[in-house]
Amino acid sequence: MKSETELHFVESVCLPLLRRAQNQDGGWGFLPGSESRVEPTCWALQALLLSTEPRTPEVSRAFQFLYVAQLQDGSWPSVAGDKTGSWVTALACWLLLKESKGTHAATRGLSWLCEDWPRDSSPWRRLLAIFSRQRDVFPINNSYRGWGWTPRTSSWVEPTAFVLMAFAECPPELLPAAAAKRRHLAEALLRDRMCPGGGWNCGNPRVYGVAGEPLAIPTVFALLALLHQPDKRENTASLSWLEGNLPHIQGLGSLAAARLCLQVYGREWPDGAPEFSGIYEKTGFLPGIQVAAWCCLALHANKWLLRSAIRSEVRQ
Amino acid sequence: MNRRNAALVPSFQRPASKVVIRRAANYQQDLESLLLESLREFKLPIKDKTVLLKPNLVGLDPLGITNTHPSVIAATREAFLHLGASQVLIGDGPAMDRDTEAVLESVRLREFAGPLAQTFVDLNIDDVEKVPLSTRASRLKELYFPKTALGVDFLVSMPKLKTHHWAGVTLSLKNMFGVVPGSCYGWPKNVLHWAGIDRSVLDINATVRPDFAIADGIVGMEGNGPVQGTRKDCGVLVLGNDPVAVDATCCRIMGFNPFKVKYLAQAGTLLGHLEAEKIGQYGENIASVRKPFAVLDAFRHILE
Repeated sequence: MKSETELHFVESVCLPLLRRAQNQDGGWGFLPGSESRVEPTCWALQALLLSTEPRTPEVSRAFQFLYVAQLQDGSWPSVAGDKTGSWVTALACWLLLKESKGTHAATRGLSWLCEDWPRDSSPWRRLLAIFSRQRDVFPINNSYRGWGWTPRTSSWVEPTAFVLMAFAECPPELLPAAAAKRRHLAEALLRDRMCPGGGWNCGNPRVYGVAGEPLAIPTVFALLALLHQPDKRENTASLSWLEGNLPHIQGLGSLAAARLCLQVYGREWPDGAPEFSGIYEKTGFLPGIQVAAWCCLALHANKWLLRSAIRSEVRQ
Repeated sequence: MNRRNAALVPSFQRPASKVVIRRAANYQQDLESLLLESLREFKLPIKDKTVLLKPNLVGLDPLGITNTHPSVIAATREAFLHLGASQVLIGDGPAMDRDTEAVLESVRLREFAGPLAQTFVDLNIDDVEKVPLSTRASRLKELYFPKTALGVDFLVSMPKLKTHHWAGVTLSLKNMFGVVPGSCYGWPKNVLHWAGIDRSVLDINATVRPDFAIADGIVGMEGNGPVQGTRKDCGVLVLGNDPVAVDATCCRIMGFNPFKVKYLAQAGTLLGHLEAEKIGQYGENIASVRKPFAVLDAFRHILE
């Protein structure tokens, strides 16, 4: 599954980009030279952890950036220095749970996540929805509840998937008491929000009677979040959609995410599917930190997510 | 110029706005000459300035009817460079898909505008600055905005003529939702829906203040827009120095009463002119290019 050209691309373009783009404060911005943010730092650090043995000072500085960025309430803000937690909390927890020293910070983050309920599905709003046209306009089951991009708003696919991935990484004895209920509701939400025919978009499977178009990146993260039940209808339909859509993928981020997901699910990368280097040469876009990290992770998927998945399976 | 410091002027104190309507039958014609000739009429202060074009790039667009057409974006860029702008950037933060590169390829922007690595700014992941909102129509007090959008000398909103299933119509003001960074607020930028779409439109435009608007109405979208509607051939470009007036003119072309579009009615009190008599109309007259758009039942009240 690791073609020579893909390995060469990751080693000659992505990893050097990640190594030279780390900021003085230990974090990464979305692009080289930009201000450090939690999200790209999490992805870059995941990639470097797989590629850098033994641990380098750069990795230690990156962890330190994350510890410093954590807010008093246990959450992480999307912009360093902000006082409000956000969806990146799940990414930070997911990463820190891979680090023995990070467990305390991560469990505080998971507690914050378990207390963050979306308002769109509160009992009062569900009651109102019965008397509104909402069910005709976007027919979703709003008794299922996940997580939003910002606290106390609406459930969306990607932030919900990231929290489920963090839960799966966490030893059961460290999970907050509410995690089991939240996981149950969130998994049901993801299955409910799948687009007709498979795949996910941001979370609108149907609006005004028109089926939503799935997208590669939300599909990948929803599938990774539901990895422990690979034979469920939603998983198999969405994997088929992802495989069938490969020839149409035009962005390096979507391609890297798709490759990561299919590899974790043990699927063969089809002959003739696009390659990282092909898209990079065609578009001339310098990959951002996140995309470069996803390319690295895609080539190390077995080492990375499968390990987590097995741990999760054993715990369950 | 720092965009945040521009003072708001009530509409009754504003001079008349100027809007130009040009016929353009298709995207293959010489749009650059058409736009250059039209822009010259405005005598814009852009020599040696940095310009940001903010098209409407919502997401993947296999049918080519969702996003501002790349030929209009590329022609506008060339026209502004010809008029003496030192740099013309293109920037947007797609609302539905975080793979902006895939959106750009789907739109075929590179084919029309050339290599994008130095030209395109992904506003979803740009460095950000928290800015107090100039108006308090929504319950939001402040928002993060991309530094590029805040720092350029001249900001041009470039919408496509489309109906919108939550707001009725999406034009140059609603297009400014795209400057709100996804890295802070997600995909979609749901916090704006929670704060009220109509009110958020007003707050964002009052704060970021687009200087000019160029609407791609060559092909628009009617019905269940902004992404699931149907193609509407309209054959016009509408441009002007007052985004509110441009939107009002587009509404009249689409067969809508701009005063009945909630956020436009609000914007008409503070950000620009809705009244036809306060808009200097040049080029084609509205009646000659009028093409009524179909709307969902929920928005039949905006029909003229």
